[in-house]
Order: sequence, then structure tokens, then C-alpha cells
Amino acid sequence: MKFKRAVINLGLIIIAFTIQNCVFPLIPFLSASPNLLLILTFSFGFIEGQRAGMWYGVLAGLLLDLFYSGPFGFYTLFYIYVGYINGICTQYYYEDYITLPLILSVLNELAYNMYIYVFRFLIRGRLNFLYFFRHLMIPEIIFTVVTTLLLYRLILFINRKLKEFESRRDTTIV
Amino acid sequence: MGSKYNRYVLVILTIFCVVLIGVTSFSDGWLTPLRTGVGYVLIPIQTGVNKVGVMIYDELADYTKLKTALDENRRLKEEIDRLTEENNRLSAEQFELQRLRELYELDQEYMQYEKTAARVIANDSGDWFQVFRVDKGSADGVSVGNNVMAGGGLVGIVTDVGAHYATIRSIIDDSSRVGAMAIQSGDTCIVGGDLTLYVEGRLRISNIQKGADVKDGDRIVTSNISSKFLPGILIGYATDITLDNNQLTSSGYLIPAAQFHNLQEVLIITEVKEDGNSSDD
Repeated sequence: MKFKRAVINLGLIIIAFTIQNCVFPLIPFLSASPNLLLILTFSFGFIEGQRAGMWYGVLAGLLLDLFYSGPFGFYTLFYIYVGYINGICTQYYYEDYITLPLILSVLNELAYNMYIYVFRFLIRGRLNFLYFFRHLMIPEIIFTVVTTLLLYRLILFINRKLKEFESRRDTTIV
Repeated sequence: MGSKYNRYVLVILTIFCVVLIGVTSFSDGWLTPLRTGVGYVLIPIQTGVNKVGVMIYDELADYTKLKTALDENRRLKEEIDRLTEENNRLSAEQFELQRLRELYELDQEYMQYEKTAARVIANDSGDWFQVFRVDKGSADGVSVGNNVMAGGGLVGIVTDVGAHYATIRSIIDDSSRVGAMAIQSGDTCIVGGDLTLYVEGRLRISNIQKGADVKDGDRIVTSNISSKFLPGILIGYATDITLDNNQLTSSGYLIPAAQFHNLQEVLIITEVKEDGNSSDD
């Protein structure tokens, strides 16, 4: 059963990744694109706990690292921590509670963009942080939060269905 | 099950990643087989989704037109449907023809280099990097370091290649540096991408020696001494050249010849510049 869930989750990640790279750039009015992989990773960390979040982060990060040239492991490292740290908040997880996921979404986006800014731009001497903040981080954060609002319920739904499916299987076996 | 186990795994994964980042910062050639393997799975998915995305987008755009036509001519609904559909197909073909013609003209202009045309199938997922992926790879003769052109000018360079895909870093990316020169005077300069100028569609020109003859509107091409770019490819036109504060060099901006938004087809020059040292970026 665990294996089946892993496959379904891997499928979800690949779909999110493809939409993010192949469909969003086609939409002309989208000045920034929401970061679907980040939403998926932190949502699963938040819903399922630290361990699931961490492995989810590994999968999402590896996919990004494989796609882009550059130091391998750069994204994986960040996504592992996203899954892990958001997993800590799982104790406050309550199914219809949407405020905390939204706050988490803002914080995660901010952390993600800062991570890229510091390690890929600041170290090359790009100091005008305010410009990057206004033109890149703010739009992406806004888009991601709005997408989280829409997507979080869907992720919850998928998660619930998967669990129902599993428990049904278990009872039939017993 | 407890948090101890999680922390243990976290530390191991962290060390693993940091070591990988360290190792691959120096050489990431050994990863190519792995990336190619993943590419075998991902590229068909990406190509498919891209095609569907383009199709849906085209249909959405035409739907509005179709609606007004329906209001005007309810009687001719079926006829209009048929014609619109045909029109869609033909206009899509027409645009493609136009783009391909432009590509072909470019092809004529840079006759001396061996080239292959490729379709853009995926873009970078954020705004931080201007990197994109095309559907031709080493099986089509593409290799790392190949120069890429579109719309009459240089677009970028292949940074990573698999059997059926190649990743291209465009010259507007913040980390891109191209050795260039003004075509009429031969004075060298460096054309670099800058994320803060990206919105205005400009690049930065720097390191023009004092007294060099580079004026606004000059054609800037890739230089003979660049180690990665073949000489004589048009990059764009110089503008706002001013003397730097150090009084030794001038710098300014460049308006690229290629259009970067909505890039759909590109030409890859399947010829790597033969040069002993290729250390610079």
C-alpha cells in the first residue's frame, strides 16, 4: 500500500512540475508563476508530518536538480527542510483550518526566494535586494498564496481519498 | 517512528546534499547519464503537456471570436463552426510558416554553420533564471557549448544535453557573459545579462576600453576571442554608452536582436568553438 501511495505522490509531483514548466509560461497575463512543487511539499509536510514531508521534499528537489544544470543538490537541500520544518506544524493541523497553511505558504515562498537570492545572486555581488524583492519575490509570493488557497483543498481531498482507499483495503483483507 | 529517527535522516540527507553540491560545483559531467535517463521519462510527458497546453490556449483565444460570430449568424452556425475550425488550423499553420520562414532567412544569413531547428518545450519555473529546454538532444548532434539563435540574433548557449533534450541558458540570464565586439570597429566588450534590466528587455555592455569606437546603435556581434561563442553572430544593438567612473572603461546597454518572450522555435548551431581554453563563462 505504501508503495502505491508513493507512486501516486510521485505522479502528482511530476504533473505539478510539468504544469509549472510547460503550461504556466504559456499564459500571457501571468507575470509570475506560482510554485506548485513548493505548495505540494509543504502541504504534505503539514498534513502528514515530518517524515513524509521530508521524503516528499527529496523527490521534488531531485526532480528540480535533475532538470537544471548547476550544483546538484541545491534544490533538494532546500525542499528537504521545507518538508521537515513544515512537518513540525503538523501538531496544529486541523482539517478545515486554512489560515495556518496560508501563513506557511507566505513564509515558505519567502524562504525559497531568499535562498535563491542569497546563494545564487548575492554571492555574485548583486546587492540591490529591494529590486529583486519588489519585482520577483512579491509577485511570486502573491501568486503562490492564491494558488495555495485553491489547491490546498484539493490536496486535502486527494489525501483523504488515498486514506479511505487504504483503510477500505485493509478491512477487506481482515 | 519518533522524532529522533527523523532528525537522524534529516542530518544524513543534509550531509548528502552538501557533499553533492560541493562535488558538482567543480564537475558535474558524471551526472549526465542520470539526467539523460530521467529525460527519457520526462521529455515525452513535457512535450505532450506542452502540445496540449498550446492547443488549449489557441482554442481559448479563438473561442471569444467564435462567440461573436455565433451571435451575428445563428443561422450559419454550423457553417461558421466548420469554417472556424478550418481557419484555426490554417492560421496556426500560417503563423508556423511565418516563423519557419524567418528561421530559414536566418539560416541563409549564417550559412557557414551547421544548424538544427528545435522547439521550446519547457521554461524555467520561476523568474529568477532564464533557462529553457528544447526537444533536440545529443541524438540530433547537439552538444554542450552549442550556440543557439532565433529571430536574427544570439539567444543562448546549451548548458546541458541528454539524448532527446537540451537545456539552454539564454543570454538574458543574470549569470550569462558573452565576449562581444562592435562590428565596424572590432573593439571588444562583454555583454552580460542582468535580472534588473530583463523587464526592460535590455542587457548590459561592459569593459569597453577607453577611446574605443562604440557608439549608440552599433551592431554588436560575438567576438573572435570569445572561447564559447562562434564569431560574427549578431547579438543586438548598443545604446546609452557612457564613460565609467574609473575613467578607463565605458559601459552601456544592449537591445537584443532576438525576441525572448514567446520563444517557440530556435536554431542550434551544432558546432562547438574549437578552443583550447574554455574556462570563462
